[in-house]
Amino acid sequence: MKKGKGIMTITMGVICFVLAYVMFMQFRTIEETNITQIENMRESELSEKLASWKEKYEETSLKLEETNAKLQEYKQKREANEEASELLDRELAQAKAIVGLTDVRGNGVIITYTEDTTTESGKIRDSDLIELVNELKLAGAEAISINDQRITNMSNIINVDIDGKKFILIDKKRVTSPYTIKAIGDPKYLESALTTKTIGFVTRHDNATLQRENNITINKYNGDIKVRYSNEVVKEEE
Amino acid sequence: MIFIAILVGCIVGALLGMNAPIIPYTLSKYLAISIVAALDSVFGGISSVVKENFDLKIFVTGFFGNAILSILLTYLGEKLNVDIYLAAIVVFVGRMFVNLAIVRRYYVDKWTNRVKGLKQEKKEENK
Repeated sequence: MKKGKGIMTITMGVICFVLAYVMFMQFRTIEETNITQIENMRESELSEKLASWKEKYEETSLKLEETNAKLQEYKQKREANEEASELLDRELAQAKAIVGLTDVRGNGVIITYTEDTTTESGKIRDSDLIELVNELKLAGAEAISINDQRITNMSNIINVDIDGKKFILIDKKRVTSPYTIKAIGDPKYLESALTTKTIGFVTRHDNATLQRENNITINKYNGDIKVRYSNEVVKEEE
Repeated sequence: MIFIAILVGCIVGALLGMNAPIIPYTLSKYLAISIVAALDSVFGGISSVVKENFDLKIFVTGFFGNAILSILLTYLGEKLNVDIYLAAIVVFVGRMFVNLAIVRRYYVDKWTNRVKGLKQEKKEENK
């Protein structure tokens, strides 16, 4: 009986010890667990955090959308700018072609005009060339050259007389017979205009021949075109 | 004698438990359920003492067996994604209340009997 009581005492003591030990260990664990650490969090806390992150995500995605829209806008603006500059480029190219600063190519006519010095009517004077150029312009020629010298809107064709010898100068450069006049335009129109009965240039001059030609190349004007004295008139708004 | 042993065991356990290493939070769930099981065993023991059918072997095996079984069941519940530990807690705490009720009835009866006895003694003295 006494032995049994001793064993019981020890057993109860041990059991109480174990129970108290484990309980206090648990108390301490619960008390000291760092709640901020995600692996220690309760589910409710986790779901709360998740919700806040979701909100943040939504906010950020909204911002992204906004930024994308802005980007799109900028892109469109840039495209518009590009369009404008393209248009400007095209205009510039056209203006240059009209003024004669670029080599041009197209269908047209080639007129060969040879001087016949033996007869008075065979002689070629500046007025003849001017007349021819004028007629070509009238017939809608877009680019004209005489002996590969480009005729611009400011070109001059003059006669010079030095010691009884006569020259023709185009833009202060001498040209001699045979004259090859190239003109780009509607070939049919140019031909019909120049070969009109009695008034056409080629019909009136025996030593001029006209030939239709495809893909004529006319070189650009070699000299400088400078605008020194004239200023553009800008209309001022009142 | 037994009460001294219980007191000493509790105090030493508490002192050592306060300095024990912290266990991971996820494992603390298992520890908690085992504590509940152990407490259930303790109250069962007290009630059996009151009913005078206390058996040390049954008490000790119940103490450790219940704790380990509850841990295993909780683990199984974790694996099955079923909160089995809730069932364990319901059972253990329910039993704890039953046992406490037994102990309470016992002491209430004892006290009322004593009061009755005292009254009877007084009556007899008066006579």
